[in-house]
Amino acid sequence: MTVQNTTPHTPVLNKPKSTFKLFNLVNGLVFFVFCLFIIIPLWKVLVDSFDLSTGYGMKLWPKRFGLAGYTSVFTNKSLYTPLINSVITTVAGTFMGLLLSTLGAYVLIQFDMPGRNFFANFLLFTMIFEGGMIPTYLVMKDMHLVNTLWAVILLPAINVYNLVLMRNFFEGIPQSLFESAELDGCTPMQTFYKIVLPLSKAALASIGLMFAVAYWNDYTNYKLYITKETMYNFQMKLRSIMMGSDLPAANGGAAENTVQNAAVIVAILPFMVLYPFLQKYFVKGVNIGAVKG
Amino acid sequence: MKKLLSLMLVLAMTFTMVTVVASAEEVAKPEKITILADTTIFSANNGRDEMEARWEELTGIELEIIQPDHDAYYDVMQQHIASGEWPDVMILSSTYYSSYAAEGVLWDMTEAWENSETKASGRFSGDVVFDGLKIDGSLYGFSATRGNGCVTYVKQAWLDAVDMTAPTNFEEYVAMLDAFTKNDPDGDGVADTFGVSAAGFIGAEAPFVNYLPEFYQDAYPFFVAQEDGTWVDGFTQPNMEAALARLSDAYAAGYIDPTTLTNGTGDCRNKFYDDGFGAFTYWAGTWATNLKTNLEANELPGDLVALAPIAEVGAYYDRVPPVWAITSQCENPEGVFKYFIDTMLDGNEMQMLWTYGVEDVHYSFKAETILEKEYAEGQFHMLENLEKEGTAYTKHHIDPMLSLATFAEGVYDPKADSVKPEAAAAAQLFNESSKLATIVPTTEDMTMYNGDLTTLKNELVAKVTMGEMTYADAMAKFEADGGKAWSDAIVASLNALAE
Amino acid sequence: MNNNNVAQPLRKAPLKVRFEKYKWFYIMFLPVMAFLIIFHYLPMFGIRFAFTKYNLIKAPVFVGFDQFRRLFSMPNFWSAFYNTLELSIVKLLLNTGMAIIASLFLNEMISERTKKLTQTIIYLPHFMSWVVTASVFQMLFSPTSAGLVNQMLLKMGVIDKSIYFLGDSAWWRTTYYIINVWRETGWGTIIFMATLAGIDPGIYEAGSIDGATRMQKMWYITIPSIANTILTVLILNLAKVMNLFESAFVLQNDAVMGTSQVLQTYVYYQTFNSGGIPDYGYTTAIGLFRSIVGMFLVLACNFASKKVRGRSIV
Repeated sequence: MTVQNTTPHTPVLNKPKSTFKLFNLVNGLVFFVFCLFIIIPLWKVLVDSFDLSTGYGMKLWPKRFGLAGYTSVFTNKSLYTPLINSVITTVAGTFMGLLLSTLGAYVLIQFDMPGRNFFANFLLFTMIFEGGMIPTYLVMKDMHLVNTLWAVILLPAINVYNLVLMRNFFEGIPQSLFESAELDGCTPMQTFYKIVLPLSKAALASIGLMFAVAYWNDYTNYKLYITKETMYNFQMKLRSIMMGSDLPAANGGAAENTVQNAAVIVAILPFMVLYPFLQKYFVKGVNIGAVKG
Repeated sequence: MKKLLSLMLVLAMTFTMVTVVASAEEVAKPEKITILADTTIFSANNGRDEMEARWEELTGIELEIIQPDHDAYYDVMQQHIASGEWPDVMILSSTYYSSYAAEGVLWDMTEAWENSETKASGRFSGDVVFDGLKIDGSLYGFSATRGNGCVTYVKQAWLDAVDMTAPTNFEEYVAMLDAFTKNDPDGDGVADTFGVSAAGFIGAEAPFVNYLPEFYQDAYPFFVAQEDGTWVDGFTQPNMEAALARLSDAYAAGYIDPTTLTNGTGDCRNKFYDDGFGAFTYWAGTWATNLKTNLEANELPGDLVALAPIAEVGAYYDRVPPVWAITSQCENPEGVFKYFIDTMLDGNEMQMLWTYGVEDVHYSFKAETILEKEYAEGQFHMLENLEKEGTAYTKHHIDPMLSLATFAEGVYDPKADSVKPEAAAAAQLFNESSKLATIVPTTEDMTMYNGDLTTLKNELVAKVTMGEMTYADAMAKFEADGGKAWSDAIVASLNALAE
Repeated sequence: MNNNNVAQPLRKAPLKVRFEKYKWFYIMFLPVMAFLIIFHYLPMFGIRFAFTKYNLIKAPVFVGFDQFRRLFSMPNFWSAFYNTLELSIVKLLLNTGMAIIASLFLNEMISERTKKLTQTIIYLPHFMSWVVTASVFQMLFSPTSAGLVNQMLLKMGVIDKSIYFLGDSAWWRTTYYIINVWRETGWGTIIFMATLAGIDPGIYEAGSIDGATRMQKMWYITIPSIANTILTVLILNLAKVMNLFESAFVLQNDAVMGTSQVLQTYVYYQTFNSGGIPDYGYTTAIGLFRSIVGMFLVLACNFASKKVRGRSIV
């Protein structure tokens, strides 16, 4: 196996070639087997989504190949508004979520700040104790958020789990940088967006992804706070396609099972496309490079 | 004294007259009715606005529909109840129906129903269903349809392949399963078929035995009222031992799909379409068509025999239907009853709306081609589903096959033109040979123990069927794990209630 | 390493000076505070229902600790409680452990393209709903000819008779853990990969110059630099240990209830089979009980973390 260093800007470790080879071979093989283990169940869904006949067991290839499952999903006009709703809430929600998480995390790394520990416990408490379905509904109703997209944007935006992880990343920023920023006369806000944010690209990418996925896949908040179908999101509609087995089977179109499997694949699709774009932020040294540059 | 007496008499007479006049007066027409409905009525993407407009046109009353997502219906209902925003009318399952009635959430519609136009119309055929809905003699809910249940479908092609006819008793039924398992009915040369499959050996909801009725026969694993009115736990009765013996014998012989324990209903359907097994007990009516079309989409013969209940079964179980109930906070329940509920089965335009939807949105009489089928001018046909292309609507809220009232004389009834023959046949068979499941009341002991009791019963049924345990061992475990005690406590509480 | 910023003693400065110094931070925390109060603390008044009987129709009736007494006296409560702890904690350790191992070795991959492809593949299962996951694995693990796992094991001669993995109490848990690892390993790597991206490559270079082997660098550089993240992830997830529901619910069946019944599914069946409307007071009491267990787990681990590593998670 040759060294396939296709991206020259990543740091290459100077290692003797002999150990390189064996280790990479074993490493590659193990991941190959692991990927196989991951793919097999997904393959079942993928094959069934392209198969016009309905089967139960595992197939390597579709028995009767056809795209009817996908055309049935994509020509479904009632999916367009939900798609737009999903994009709006995911973009707005991820932004809000990242804003709150970074602000909160930035405050939490001020270890000398009076009240800092109180804030930390104040946050953690909400992660453990919850009010429950009915009281939350009553608050949402009193805030006039029921049956508005704000309900599904604002409620998940404060996420203590993500906030604490963000704090964990911020902690990794060398203290010396904060000190020199202070000496340069930076206000806390300036330090925040000149030092903290550029140094946390990997953190923003990963936590942003977690928010985006949560917003995109949100189902619980929609079903509890939205009863108007015009405000449903993509996930709600896909779910009703998947669960909609009580609807009559298609006449000459795709079988029920094919459409359901196609809907599962369509639900995965956005993040299959998005993820490779985010991966450049997970490359070694991305944060340090940001400061030096 | 005499004067006083006559004065009292006059007063009494005036009072009576006023009351008589008041009751003879027209029931006030509500200005607006708010309903909480599930997805059995058309959704917003399926022309609900047009449906609403048509309803308002027919009554002159404003209708507000709150329609939560299918999975969250009861959560949203409870949110509305808790926050005090009660709708005028809501749809309730039988469990919520009986508990809410007991809690005083629902308006007693017994009298309104007795004097209703629907009941007096002569077209109504649901007296048995409505008797089943009465709680202590009072009626709190209305259903326009029967509850529906399951019938056993058998693949005609498989019967032909093994040279058999539809079984009429258990012996013949088992012989059929044997042939389906061993004689390669799908003709692929591999012994990969089973006689029957189901999603679990026992259903999660009443009537628990509806997916494998041929094996359970007269046994019933839940609480049943005997003829003298006393309650017993059907699980502890001797006929359950016989039922479990039938199940375990058939399982051991390989007639029952070995993964019945972990099957979901979707798995069962897929296996049925994939020629995995031959006899499938599933919903009557529309599903007869669904099973057929899916088999045909798989390039397999789609003809199914809807089996008349075999001699030992006698009758399939009919579920208690979900009901429309008026809440006790409704300001004008008489008006809501008269204009919302009593119109639903009016035998005319309103019944048309609730059964088929809106003309030229959901159905039409125009000359046109819908989904590759040509229709002549004046010929009734359902239109293409707005949400699911390639699919036609089959019904609105009322399934024409389950409707409790016919259309009025002289009014065109599209049933014959809208319902597929196989679905109609299955529905008719079911209607003729089913018995109504009863509502079992709730008691403190039921709330406390029935969760554990049901889990234990289901575990024992599964283990005895799969041959992991003998019946005697199962009953010993039933007693040792407390099942017997819980069962007795619940039976005692039900009997105390009955007295 | 990066622990040079943990609580430096500037404490000597008077409180007033420190308040003045951090005034902007208080303003920055305001929006976070507002969200927490509105969406978390206001609804928390609902916890009082745990001490009432409340059917959401009539006004709640105060019953003291009755709901908790009912919960603890439920016949199979303790076995469900124990199952929850075992399934949840083993699952957490396995999923996190697998995610760490996968991240470490992904990090060692030389070809960026293979690495990215592998990452994309292994994170996909997270997007499949539990219902779909359960239905696919029930097929793969089934004892019939459709069960790929059994067919392979039979062919390889490992077993001579099919095993009903999800229908047999002896196998159910193992199968459950495998399915969870399948679904969550890739997703779990995201946070660790992001942490690894933050390590200064200079440290590795220094390590190489000192002649450290690959394994030594992994052990002495990589693992210590993600240790804080590992701890944080583990402790934060401990708070949710008692919430286990969906994955167990979709994979369990009548025959394996003894090993698969967790508190949330147990309560679900209690309510579902009660023949009546759920008592909201009871539901709230169970929620509160779960929270208290979660709190103890978090506090205990946080305390241990402070003792061992000298830092708490927040």
